[in-house]
Amino acid sequence: MAKLLQIFAVLCALAVLTLWFGLGAHSGWTKTQVATQHIDPVTEIPYSEMKPGFVPGVDFLAAGLLGAGLFFVIGFGISKLQKKKTTS
Amino acid sequence: MKLSHSLAVAAAFVTAAHAEPLSFDFKDPKGVNNVVFKLDAPLESINGTANGISGAITVDPANPGTASGKIVVATESLSVANPMMKEHMLGEQWLNAKANPEITFEVKKISDIQKSGDKGEADVTGIFTLNGVSKEITVEAKVTYLPGRLAERSPQKTPGDLLVIRSKFEIKRSDFNIQPGKNLDKVSDEIELELAIAGAAPKG
Repeated sequence: MAKLLQIFAVLCALAVLTLWFGLGAHSGWTKTQVATQHIDPVTEIPYSEMKPGFVPGVDFLAAGLLGAGLFFVIGFGISKLQKKKTTS
Repeated sequence: MKLSHSLAVAAAFVTAAHAEPLSFDFKDPKGVNNVVFKLDAPLESINGTANGISGAITVDPANPGTASGKIVVATESLSVANPMMKEHMLGEQWLNAKANPEITFEVKKISDIQKSGDKGEADVTGIFTLNGVSKEITVEAKVTYLPGRLAERSPQKTPGDLLVIRSKFEIKRSDFNIQPGKNLDKVSDEIELELAIAGAAPKG
């Protein structure tokens, strides 16, 4: 159980890091809308069109790593308790 | 020769009689009209757009100095990429969009006009209203008049003219009572605004 939690925590941390790096390592806040740039052919006005999209930011990275860390600590705590039980 | 001269004079009079002010509606059905806002504070840079633009400008293309009208931006249309930041921006503490649903600029005076064909530049003085506070400001504007080009942007091929206005200017949020002096490390006092809008004047 403890080992499983710790493996899950490491996998979580890796997944969060992969997602954050893979989607651009955005150093701002998480975005749920992505802007695409266009130019109107007649008026030549540049405009951006917002479309739903997900760009993980530093808040996503922090929350993900914190969650993974929490799982790891819980797993570590459980393994300590289990060791105490077996020695006593 | 005399007849052709008289016809030319008559044609000039007819043209002059028709050179009356045109009313350009800035509610763009394509949703292209936009205002970009940028705030660059030491700890955070905020960029966003607003596209809820409406209003009308009445202008005689032959005499642009007499232009008048008002451009309106729906406060609720201000958008930033982060939804929580948008909620804060439109909330009571900042722009209070419910109490102040419109940001407006009412044209009062056009000066220093430099015309070159269908393009021109001028200083536009008007009343800028934000967060319920009105202040007279003067901004530089670049204007392009596109006669007969409305049909190219209209699905119904409506004949008419287009007027494109571009302007870049800066305001201070403290001048408009938006949390003056607060959170300056993350929300700068200076707000850079970049306006690019097109108005349509249908004919016939």
